[in-house]
Order: sequence, then structure tokens, then C-alpha cells
Amino acid sequence: MTTPVVVADHITKRYAGHTAVRALSLQVSRGGIFGLLGPNGAGKTTTIRMLLGIITPDEGNVTLLGQVGTGRDLSARIGYLPEERGLYPKMRVLDQLAFLGEAKGLGRWDARKRAGVWLERLGLGDWALKKVSDLSKGMQQKVQFAGALQHDPELVILDEPFSGLDPVNSQVMRDVVVDVARSGRTVLFSTHIMEHAEKMCDHVVIIARGEKVVDGTMAEVKREGGKTHVALTFTRNAQAARGILADRSLVATVDDAGATAEVGLVPGADPERLLKALVMQDVGLSRFEVVEPSLQSIFIAKVGPEAAHPVARSEVA
Amino acid sequence: MNKIIAVIRREFIERVRTKAFIIGTVLVPVLWIGFGLLPRLLLERETGAQRLVVLDRTQSDVGARIAAALEAVKAGEGDATQFAVEHMAVGSDWESVRDSLVRLTGLSEAPPSAPHGILILDEFSVDSGRASYLGSNVASPRLTNAIEHAIEPVLLAIRLERKQLDSSVVAAAMIRLSLQTTRVTEGHVTGQSGEQTFFLAYFIDMLMYFALLFYGIQVSSAVMEEKTNRIVEILVSSLRPFELLMGKVIGVGAAGLMQMGIWLGTGLFVSTILSRPGPAGAAPTGFQLPEVSLALVAIILICFLLGFFFYASLYAAIGSMCNTQQEAQQTATPVTMLVVAGMILMFGLVNDPNSTLARVVTFIPFFTALVLPVRYALTPLPLPEVLGGILALLLGILGVVWLAGRIYRVGILSYGKKPSLRELWRWVRTD
Repeated sequence: MTTPVVVADHITKRYAGHTAVRALSLQVSRGGIFGLLGPNGAGKTTTIRMLLGIITPDEGNVTLLGQVGTGRDLSARIGYLPEERGLYPKMRVLDQLAFLGEAKGLGRWDARKRAGVWLERLGLGDWALKKVSDLSKGMQQKVQFAGALQHDPELVILDEPFSGLDPVNSQVMRDVVVDVARSGRTVLFSTHIMEHAEKMCDHVVIIARGEKVVDGTMAEVKREGGKTHVALTFTRNAQAARGILADRSLVATVDDAGATAEVGLVPGADPERLLKALVMQDVGLSRFEVVEPSLQSIFIAKVGPEAAHPVARSEVA
Repeated sequence: MNKIIAVIRREFIERVRTKAFIIGTVLVPVLWIGFGLLPRLLLERETGAQRLVVLDRTQSDVGARIAAALEAVKAGEGDATQFAVEHMAVGSDWESVRDSLVRLTGLSEAPPSAPHGILILDEFSVDSGRASYLGSNVASPRLTNAIEHAIEPVLLAIRLERKQLDSSVVAAAMIRLSLQTTRVTEGHVTGQSGEQTFFLAYFIDMLMYFALLFYGIQVSSAVMEEKTNRIVEILVSSLRPFELLMGKVIGVGAAGLMQMGIWLGTGLFVSTILSRPGPAGAAPTGFQLPEVSLALVAIILICFLLGFFFYASLYAAIGSMCNTQQEAQQTATPVTMLVVAGMILMFGLVNDPNSTLARVVTFIPFFTALVLPVRYALTPLPLPEVLGGILALLLGILGVVWLAGRIYRVGILSYGKKPSLRELWRWVRTD
């Protein structure tokens, strides 16, 4: 139980003009959900491909499930959902899923049986004999999801699993992932959407420009966020409020979402000073709460605003 | 190993299930039968009931003798005569008779008694060797040949007789030369004519050319499809790219072999049933299927399999570099040209299958698969040369498969611009 499921030791991958991943090390322990976070282009997919042995690191090495070797040799024990997902459009859904199972080393009939079970589980039983191209995009994603999970892998690696899903399907997939982790298996997934990671992950690694900037359990990361964080909602005089938030002797970071903001105070600063100042400016404060920093604000603090994704944000200079 | 088999099986089953495959498999034999037999049937129908009128202005027995000679012409192998001849001796009114006959000829809805053609002989025909023929069917060289061949000896005989030669001497002098060519292989008479040998070589050449190109390009698009579908990434997470490459090549090859098997099988079946010439558009003259030795069949099969492996690997590498059909077509042009060049070489080999050129190209892996079976069909080859050619091809395959594997490995995960030659070289070199 103590051997880590995934160990990457200073892995580096260079492409023609740039270094996609630089001397990255990470450890995934057994069980639970591990988040690999980073803005677009940070090197998440390259890292995952190296972990799986799809591409070979230029330097460093990877140990999976306690064994040196490529993910291919262990593929029966690993489930993988790539970021760029695809299916054979003209193949029947059941055949397709069974083939993916066979590619993972399942026997032919076992693969067909499991594929059938998974299609039922995801509510696609009636579509088993239809062509993949007849399925909606959401349904196709469910099929791909089933493809990554149907052979009961110990380790499931999902690259941006929730991208492009509507809220309903996204919820279905999240429930499945949580189920998988609860059954004692290990899930590693990458995302650039911090809300997902915050709700699901036990352990996160944040990478930016190919390098690791944060590594720890969710609690550690939040603690290390260090500063006192305050969540604010104001109803008027937003302009005046911003003046106060610009006070560098008091406020270190601001994650301003318009009517709400999350601010990190300068170390040692008293949150009450901020409260007093805001009340004085009459900003119609409807929320003032000392909180743990959100993953989002940690992410932005570490990665820098230029890489801030999905919500546009401004930071007072 | 099971994984490769799964890839091969998927490729084979999905391929065989497509409409294009099913239609192609059924349609080609139908077309072969159509092209092979239809002209023959049509010609037979046409020749079976050719009504000729001999308009005889000679005032002698020349017209009657020619009519008799025409009447004796046989259509094909059987006893059926080719012409139904009506001999009509005419005087000075011949022009009006001719015109009335012409009016009946070549009608779209001809009455059963209408002539197909009118042969006009006059008193000068014997000396000048000229006669005129008016007919609705003058485009058929077979027909005009038959008429000429029937008339010529009669005219010749009449000319000699007029020089007071004894008719028995004339008859003896008139015996025509007929050169029977028969192929000898390894000291055995094969019962195969020169014409058949050429036909066989030509057929093998076309077969190999078609098979290498057609199925090679299918491999290229299958690889590209997997890449553009992005399914390849899931597959390479559990199979080595090289295994995947081999699975694709073998899967497409198996489907191709089955399709060709069906085509050749039906072709042979039909031609045996009808004991008519082979299905590859053979001339509709009555010649037998060429005798094909077991060794030749073995060489054809080996060369197809090895040649397919050779070219399919190249095509797979090309498919892995490209993102669109057009791009793949363009990129494949040099490879396609090599196949075409190998096919065209055959025409140089026919005259001298043991020339230095023929020997040299046999050992160039790009051409071996096309050249070796053709040469073997044309002339007996020493065993070391056959084995040497196959060995050269095997070595070529090792090189090409290695190269294709290196390119494929990187290509399937590279999207965007097609690599330049320099980038390609880097793909090959890097680990």
C-alpha cells in the first residue's frame, strides 16, 4: 500500500523549439484522486503521455505501479482517456468498446460482456448496435469514458475528462470518477478548471510552462497559500472598494470577479482593518468572511495572471 | 500478441463490412465477365447470322466459287457457318439491283431477309484483286478479315488456273503456313503458346500492379483515418506503435487477399465453366487458359505478400505524416511512381526476359515483386536468381519496415503541418 502508484523522476521533454516539460517530478500514492493542474499549454498532456510511455522522456524516468517499464506493458492495469478523444465513426458502439477492451488485453468475449455492462450502466444499452456516428457528442464521450474504465484498472489517467461536457453529463462523469476512487483505485486527472479540482482532488500538482510550481495535498496547498484570505461581496461603490483593495500595505493579492472578490492579506495584517476600511467607504458589504484560499486564487498567485484561464480576471497593479 | 490479433481482426472485419468492399467484391467479377464474355457473345450473335449478297458481274464461275468459299467459312470452333450467302448474277442493271439492296441494309429495324452486306465483284476483280463491300458492319476487323481470307485464295487459284496451271498443282501450292508456337520450360513442352505466355505475363503484371497500389493506398488512408479520428492515442497507450502498424498492414492485406481470392476464384470458375478465355479481357479468339505451374502460383503469392508488405509499410508511413486525403495523395506520388515504373518494366522484359536490365531490376526491392513473377512466367529462371530476388525483397522489407516504424511512431501523434524532409529525417533519427 505504501509504494506510490506513479513516480516521475525529473522527466524532461524537448520539442523542436521549446522545452515542453522540464525536470518534473511527482508521486501519486495509492487511492484517491490526484489532480494535475495547469493553464493551457503548461505541459499537462505531454506529462501524461510520458507517464504512460506514449512518448519517451528525453531525461528522467517513470515508474508505474512499482515497476520500471512503459505504461504499455502494464496497460491492462491502467485506464487512459486522452484529451483528444476519438472513436471509429463507422463502427458499432458495442464492437468499438469491446475492441478497446481487447486492446487493453481483455479476452474477446470478456471484453464484449464488460462493454455491454458498461453501456447499460451509462444508459446507452439501446445504442449498443448503432454506429458510433449516430451518437451525440455527449454519448460518444460516455463511450470513451467506459473504454477507459471497463477493464477495472488500478490506475485511471484522465486527460481533461470534463472538457466539452454539458453540466448534466459532467456530473455523471464526476460521480463515476468519485466512485472509482472510493473503490480503492487511483485516479489521476488533468484539468485547467480549478473548481473541478477543488471539489474532487486529495492531492494536486500545479505546473506552469513545463515546471512544477505547487505540489501537495489539498490541505497542505491551502495552508501554504499562507496568507489570510477574505471573501467579499459588495453591492455598491465598487470603485471605492477597489481603492481600498489597492492598498499594498494591507492587501497582497486580489481575485476580483466584479461584485465579489477574494483577497489575500499581507502577512500579519489584521482582517478587521480591511473590514473597517470597507465599512467606512460604504460599499454595501453583504459578505465578509475569512476563508481558506480557493485553489483558484492559489493557482493564479502561483501561475500568474497571464495564464489565468477560464474566467477573465483583473488584478490591481 | 493477442492485441495485434485484435487490431488485425478489427481492421479485417470492419473493412469487409463496408459497402465499398462488398460492392467492389461483387462488381469486379461481374465486370470481368461482362468485358470478357459480352463482346464475344455479341460478335457471335452478329456473325452467326451474317447475310451476304454476292453481286456477281463477272459473267463467269468466279462469283459462284467465291460465294461457295464464303459459305464455307466457319464461325469460331463449332460447325456454325459465319455467313449465309446469296449468289446473284447480274448484268448491266447491277446498279439498280445494288441500290435496292442498299436500301434494305443497315436499317435499325431490319426485316429478317435484309442483307448485312453486299459484296460486288466485276470482271476485273480477278486481275486487279479489287472488290467492293457495302455493309452495316464494316467496323469489325474480324468480319473484313474473314471475307478477305475467304476470297483471296479463290482469286489466287483462278489466276493460276488461267495461266494453265494444273489445278492439283494449284491446290498443293495454296497450302498456307501456320506457325504453331509452343513454350518449352525446363526441357518440358508445356502446351502453352507464345500468345498465351504473353497474355499470362501481362495478366500477372497488371494483377500485381493493381494489388500493390490499390491495397497500399488503403493502408495509407486507414492509418490516416485513425490519426485524424484521434483514436490512435488510446491505441498507442496499450500497443507499441510498431505492433499497431503491423496490425494495420496485415489486416488490410488479409482483406485484400480475400477480395483478390474471390475475384480470381470467380474468374477461374467462370472461364472453366465456359471453357473460354480468361476473365482479364482476353481476346475473344478461341484459345485455352494458359497452363500455370504450381511454382509460378507460389512465386506470385510470395511476391504479392512480400511486395504488399514492402509498399504497404511505405504507404502507412505516408498516411501517418498526413492529415487530409489530398495531402496523402500528393505525398504518396513518389511511391506510386515506383509501382508504375515496376509495372511498365514488364514491357521491356517481354522481348528479352534474361537481359541485363531484367536481371538487375529483379534485385532492386522496389521492383522485385512486379518483375520476378513476370519474368518467371516468360522464361525459366535459375533457382538462385529467384531466391536472390526474394532475399533482396526481404532485406528491402526489413529496411522499409524499420523506416516506416520510425516515421509512424512520431507521425501518428503529430498534427498540423506535414513534415519537411529534414524534419522527417529527425523523426527517423531520434529515439
